[in-house]
Amino acid sequence: MSDETRKQAVSRLDSAVPMNETVIHPEAVSEPPPLHDWPAAQLFDESLTPEGALRPHYTKLFDALEQLGSVERNRRWENARRLVQEQGITYNVYGDVRGMERTWELDPVPFLIEAKEWRSLEAGLVQRAELINHILADCYGPQELIRSGGLPPALVFGQPDFLRPCHGIKPKQGKYLIFYAADLARSPDGRWWVTSDRTQIPTGAGYALANRLVTSRILPEAFRDCQVHRLAGFYREMQKTLASLAPLKLDNPRIVLLTPGPYNETYFEQAYLARYLGYQLVEGQDLTVRDDRVYLKTLAGLEMVDVILRRVDDDFCDPLELRNDSILGVPGLIEAARAGHVTIANLPGSSLLQSPAFMAFLPGLARQILGQDLKLPSVATWWCGQKSAENYVCEHLDDLFVKPAFRFKLPGMTADRELSRAERARLVSHIHFQPHQFVAQEWVELSTAPALDAGRLVRRPVSLRVYLVATEHGYAVMPGGLSRVAPRLGVSSVSMQRGGASKDVWVLSEQPVEDLSLLSTSGFNLELRRVGNNLPSRLADNFFWLGRYAERADATTRLLRSALRRFTPERGGGTQLHLAPLLETLEQQGQLSAYSSQSQSQSQAPAMSRQNPEALEAGLLAAIFDPRRNGSLRQLVGHLQRIAMFVRDRTSNDLWRAANQLGDLLANAPQEEILLAADALGILNQALLGLASFNGLARENMTRAQGWRFIDLGMRIERALCLCTFLDCSLRSPEADNPSVLEMVLEVADSTLTYRSRYNLLPNIAAVYDLVLLDDTNPRALFFQINQIAQHFERLPREAAEVTPQQKILRECSSRLRLLDTRELVLRSANWLASDTGHAIVDTARDLPRLSDAIAVSYFAHSEISRTGGGFQP
Amino acid sequence: MKWEIFHRTRYTYATPVRDSFNDVRLQPMPIPEQTVESFLLRVLPSSRLTHFKDFYSNWVHHFEIVEPHGYLLIEATSRVITHPPPPLPDASICSFVQMREAPNIERCFDYLRESRFVELSPEAWKLALDATVGLDDAWQAALALMRFVHGFLKYESASTHVHTHMSEVMRERRGVCQDFAHLLLGLCRSLKIPARYISGYLATETASATHAWIEVFVPGQGWRGLDPTHNCQIGETHVKIANGRDYADVSPISGNYRGTRERKMEVEVRITAVQ
Repeated sequence: MSDETRKQAVSRLDSAVPMNETVIHPEAVSEPPPLHDWPAAQLFDESLTPEGALRPHYTKLFDALEQLGSVERNRRWENARRLVQEQGITYNVYGDVRGMERTWELDPVPFLIEAKEWRSLEAGLVQRAELINHILADCYGPQELIRSGGLPPALVFGQPDFLRPCHGIKPKQGKYLIFYAADLARSPDGRWWVTSDRTQIPTGAGYALANRLVTSRILPEAFRDCQVHRLAGFYREMQKTLASLAPLKLDNPRIVLLTPGPYNETYFEQAYLARYLGYQLVEGQDLTVRDDRVYLKTLAGLEMVDVILRRVDDDFCDPLELRNDSILGVPGLIEAARAGHVTIANLPGSSLLQSPAFMAFLPGLARQILGQDLKLPSVATWWCGQKSAENYVCEHLDDLFVKPAFRFKLPGMTADRELSRAERARLVSHIHFQPHQFVAQEWVELSTAPALDAGRLVRRPVSLRVYLVATEHGYAVMPGGLSRVAPRLGVSSVSMQRGGASKDVWVLSEQPVEDLSLLSTSGFNLELRRVGNNLPSRLADNFFWLGRYAERADATTRLLRSALRRFTPERGGGTQLHLAPLLETLEQQGQLSAYSSQSQSQSQAPAMSRQNPEALEAGLLAAIFDPRRNGSLRQLVGHLQRIAMFVRDRTSNDLWRAANQLGDLLANAPQEEILLAADALGILNQALLGLASFNGLARENMTRAQGWRFIDLGMRIERALCLCTFLDCSLRSPEADNPSVLEMVLEVADSTLTYRSRYNLLPNIAAVYDLVLLDDTNPRALFFQINQIAQHFERLPREAAEVTPQQKILRECSSRLRLLDTRELVLRSANWLASDTGHAIVDTARDLPRLSDAIAVSYFAHSEISRTGGGFQP
Repeated sequence: MKWEIFHRTRYTYATPVRDSFNDVRLQPMPIPEQTVESFLLRVLPSSRLTHFKDFYSNWVHHFEIVEPHGYLLIEATSRVITHPPPPLPDASICSFVQMREAPNIERCFDYLRESRFVELSPEAWKLALDATVGLDDAWQAALALMRFVHGFLKYESASTHVHTHMSEVMRERRGVCQDFAHLLLGLCRSLKIPARYISGYLATETASATHAWIEVFVPGQGWRGLDPTHNCQIGETHVKIANGRDYADVSPISGNYRGTRERKMEVEVRITAVQ
């Protein structure tokens, strides 16, 4: 919603109240809160009794809200929205081009649960987690339940999620299910039902934390009055559990969070949790297996990993034994787990119990395994693999929701509740053909809770996800969770992928609650001291390219700005002479497509577009704004944004924002209004400022650890390379010693002021080239870059004391420049490029890409994975 | 009979590769029908070998070669004595009615379903029904299906590759032993006869090679081997290495590495009868 519509909504709330819409009045303290679409059909409402009275546990929240007054309330809601944006809380939506990194929708009105009710939920959840752990242990172990008839073989073996290679792995302490989450819904009679079990990767615990930080900050009074249980204790249990699961008893085991990468829908949460818990966020390619042990590949060498908190799907974990097309996993990981040298939480294969079909068997299994009745019921479920259930389902299709029992998509299914006669017949025939693939559940009418819609309190269907972790003393439940809100009434399932917001969940305590400090922001700084020597090589690679792209964007902006400043459409092509070095540089870098690369040396043959001012102008504008043109500023900034995303968990939010602002600046530039090239100058000036702040943040807001070092390395190499390319083109110019050409050299090399402060005369070719090439006090000079690179090399880890290939290349460059004396240029009157200075520039431009490659080989070393495969082809 | 089997696979890579992780299924199974006297696995460049039993009780040897290497040599030498039970007669042994219990027998379920290379399509079901008209005995039906597959497909070496799916075999009507086995699996499973894929060796007078066939489950008789390529029940010349749902479960060498896809593979198999 735009700010404008939001303001309108707010003012509407304050002044005129439309018919049939009621809002909270400051006076109406003792009255039930008038909810906008109240009353609705016989649904359970979390805040109101069926008679319309406020439920006691909601009174403190509503009192606090009343006391704020409507203006302050709206200011708080606005704050919530701003905090979400500032924290960079996002959620990726698959298949949505613009939705990559969508801002998280937080409904700032919390969901409240009273103490007594929570205790009974807790007992039911703990029992359920224990039961599921037993079933998993049996399915991946002795399989007594199958033999005894408690579980039909088809239910286990028929599932793609039953991972045969994981059978027989014995996790430490018998913990198959370390993390568990359950989705709960409350039916109209007020009872809670489990609608789904999340046994593989219970997502959302990080979002719950983020929601809590925002909600408790904007409603501090209510948070205090309501006596809300703190979440920090739960995360501390998580840390304790994971540490205790290290295969060897260690004081400080290495725990990593294995992520599928930035394109995953919950990447934000993964990075957030990793920071909060103090674990390193790694991708599959950062890990390697040696002798059945898992190691993290860092710049300093291999470091053993003891525990993996897994966010990569089960079957993608190991391309050797599981899905061999996976590029997210670690070859040999399953064998390492089998050997007991690493703990994976949760064990791959645990998604088996996520199938809704299991719900039909849980009551029986609870009696058989635990000798107890199931305390917390599942939503009524029929698995059609049993004949009686199959018949029941086919006869009651109207009252049931048919789903795939396993994760295959099945024919004949619709998401609609109402089935036509033909649809029903088709579904029945598919069920009869492969009954064990189908499961049916009763529709759940979700309860409703107060939610915010355009500044008004309304009621919306909600579901609740709660989280558990195995501890030494059984399962611990997070006193809170993630409540998801449907966008409108009459919706019976809530999905973040399909839109919908989430809420913080406040579990109320009967006693005052002790403050825990883990919640304070100091917990978020844990990461930085870990950067030290253990930077994964993948990140080093990304930092390096972040530096290169940032500098390339900067250099390109300067070139384009200089070109546009000198560009005068009125003159004919021939008089644009002083533009030539600039245009040639842009052409060599591919940003202007005046002539093809093979004719680079024939600078005397003027290119077509240079004679035609309109074409030239269009070309220059395209080099700025055209996202499809190779090397255009817009494209460079796009690369910058993409790489900034890859290193997001290691950099500040400001850096991320600076990159996005740059992207917006270029993407949102009103194309049709920029008729003249001169108009683009303003945008280029803004872009330069944006890049400067990006560079400043990248350099100054990072510790001088290896991440910073690689950014700087990338910037130096790119700056040297751009400078060489430009100087090469400048010396090609027949008027290389013309003061206006030299002015331009100083301008592009950002050394004009330095020159003026040093020489009180018109630009002289020897002095200018000395300043931009050899002056080691000028941070823009080539020699300065070479010296900086050399210093970085001294500090980077290397295996032996001998000189590395990249150092050799660098020494060649360095000594070449040391021997150079630019005064020779004064003696020439033409053919400048043939001078020693010209040769030095050409040679350095040739060596720099080699240098970059040598760095990549030494520190990044990636190559693609191939499959071995072996034939039996008799 | 007693056999000495030598099986060598050599990969030569166009440029050195590294981080090679491999699972090898080459050790003959110790089962009542055969005694494995010895098994020796050699891998070059040399590396540490570990082994485990997979879900289908096959022996898997695992190794990793991290350092860059230009070739990979895997050499398995086994000594095996075969003593298969006499072939079952083509007579009523297990009716389809008795067979209905099979899905509930432990671990039979996997062998009644579709798998990576085997599908249960209406076409396959129709072929299976036509080939077994008038038979009410599952064992006789299995034999009839074997004869049918033998006649239906044309043996043509190199006409398919290791990843050819049964549906393609059915359409093209040609293939090698692996394809014969996959089609017979599909037909048996279509009639709800549990059937599994077997990889192994076959020694004949003219040639010795790796081979593939199937086993069907016959209540009261256990798993019985049928070789659709040669249209016979398995005998002394069949040496069994591994079993699974289809080729994907028993692939003799599976793994991955970092580096070029360009490589050459040479396989040599020698099987000799010893006294």
